[in-house]
Amino acid sequence: MEYILNQLINGVCQGAIYALMAIGYSVVVGVTGMVTFTHGEVMMIGAFASFYIFQYAGSHIVLGLLGAFAASWILGMLVYKICYEHFFNAPRHISLICTVGFSMLVQNLAQICFGANKKPVLNIIENRVFKIGPVRISMIQVAIVVIVLALAVLLTVYFNRTRAGMALRAVSQDKSAAYLVGISVKKTAMIGNCIGCGIGGVAGMLMAIYYQTCYATMGSTMSMKAFSSSVLGGMTDVRFSALGGLCIGVIENLGITFSSASFRDAFAFCFLILVLIIRPHGFSVKKGARP
Amino acid sequence: MNTLINAVKKVYGEHKVLFLAVIVVLLLILPFLGFKKSTIRIMCRILMYCTLAGSLNMINGYSGQTCIGQAGFFCIGAYTMAILSTRFGISFWILLPLGGIMAMLVGLIVSIPTLRLKGIYLSIITMGASEVIRIVALNWESLTGGSFGIKDIPRPSAGGFLVDSPMKFYYLFLILAVIFLFISSRVIRSRAGRAWMSIREDELAAKALSVQTSYYKASNFMYGAFWAGICGAAYAPYLQYIDSTVFSLDEGFNILSMVIIGGQGTLAGPIVGSALVNFLTEILRPVGTWRFVTYALLIIIMMWLRPQGLVGASDSILAGGRIKMKSKSKKAAKESA
Repeated sequence: MEYILNQLINGVCQGAIYALMAIGYSVVVGVTGMVTFTHGEVMMIGAFASFYIFQYAGSHIVLGLLGAFAASWILGMLVYKICYEHFFNAPRHISLICTVGFSMLVQNLAQICFGANKKPVLNIIENRVFKIGPVRISMIQVAIVVIVLALAVLLTVYFNRTRAGMALRAVSQDKSAAYLVGISVKKTAMIGNCIGCGIGGVAGMLMAIYYQTCYATMGSTMSMKAFSSSVLGGMTDVRFSALGGLCIGVIENLGITFSSASFRDAFAFCFLILVLIIRPHGFSVKKGARP
Repeated sequence: MNTLINAVKKVYGEHKVLFLAVIVVLLLILPFLGFKKSTIRIMCRILMYCTLAGSLNMINGYSGQTCIGQAGFFCIGAYTMAILSTRFGISFWILLPLGGIMAMLVGLIVSIPTLRLKGIYLSIITMGASEVIRIVALNWESLTGGSFGIKDIPRPSAGGFLVDSPMKFYYLFLILAVIFLFISSRVIRSRAGRAWMSIREDELAAKALSVQTSYYKASNFMYGAFWAGICGAAYAPYLQYIDSTVFSLDEGFNILSMVIIGGQGTLAGPIVGSALVNFLTEILRPVGTWRFVTYALLIIIMMWLRPQGLVGASDSILAGGRIKMKSKSKKAAKESA
């Protein structure tokens, strides 16, 4: 019982990171209206940016956060320019293949630049363990959940209370209607894409801190998780995506409690497929959500 | 570039039989021209991927469903062959169609939840299914040997004639590719093929014309999976050793990029794509990791300049154009107005 409770806590913590990935992912998909395969690489770049900042600029988590955000923002701009801007009116599979190519490009360039071996990330957060009854919670887990919650709140305020955020939502709902009310759609789409990528970068940094490693091919598994979490939430809806991420984190960690850890990814996908059979648009209640 | 392609097409259309005969003769005598063994191995790969990419093209190009996890079906076929031939010693010629049928059944299972889904949801399900298949193959040690894989898969033999050298496998893959192309060229001209294409062009209109879309989508999936399974079943004895790393998602993307580079929705596209991609992989081998960088750049450039692929027609729906009314019908509309 204690073991299961602890796994539940681990699941919630991991689910929080997945939720952040999924939020970034669904912001990108919502604003650009196209599916991306580069999100894993964006997260990987965020992780590496924070790794180098911790190494050379001082080990403070806010510094790493800003660095990861900025680095993935720049990568997000590149992704937008290369994979989206020309293909808004083309069939979807063209930009999809383009993002596949771009993610291969970034991943292999990262392997060349950063080296193929795993890099140990410095221990940024003091390694203390709280005991509440039978449950053990580490300081890292608390910090991760706090950061994710803070970012989610910030994002909600940005989307609902500021003019730029409302423009973003308008673009994600209907591009031509947004044109009509005087929103610069291309610019807004780029900013939205970059915000999504930046959040993804922060999620990558948290992942690197949680597992204390980062390596050039870490993106592929992470993008799978971001993918399935946001599909679970209905692709474009930020809140449901976060819920989906949380679900997948918990399901995974409970699943590996009852079987071996190597089935981790299989649990996530089986859960996803089961949910999609019952609800083809994930948790989202919106009718006719954008595919 | 378009005029060049049109010119080639025109010449090809006039002397179709002659062209095909020359190509067949060339392919038949190719291994005897004194190539090195490694070159013949590359040709084997090209021919194998012709069928494999062609099977994905049947799904992606002809019915417009974006499947990414073709490596999963490939994996099913290969493991069916490997397990049944090493454990029970069943003949290659029985297992070849059996591998296809197994993959077809898995294709059916995958397609059932996808019938209600569209676009990206479907791609993700196929991708997830492919990963689940690979993870099961990696972890079910008593059946698949886990990470050690399966060794010593017996070579196929027919009446004392053992197919054991790359040259003999070349003919095996050639025969498979020719059979695949022949059957597929018949299928896409049949009722089922036309139904698939109508679903690709406009699913709602197809439904209105009383095409049973879910039935045809599932059958399309099963057809593509069947040939992928057969490819896997033929590829396993060629390698003689398989493990789950062969069937990763990268392999799925590799197959997909062959289809895209060659041209979706054309029979010749996957052949061109397979030849080009395998050729490039071999040429770029000395540059190490940069090979993948070049390869990725090629995909991006391809999408920018020729999204319909090398062979695809520029007026196809896959090229990015909307379905245009022909000028004739416009004229007719004007006249009637």
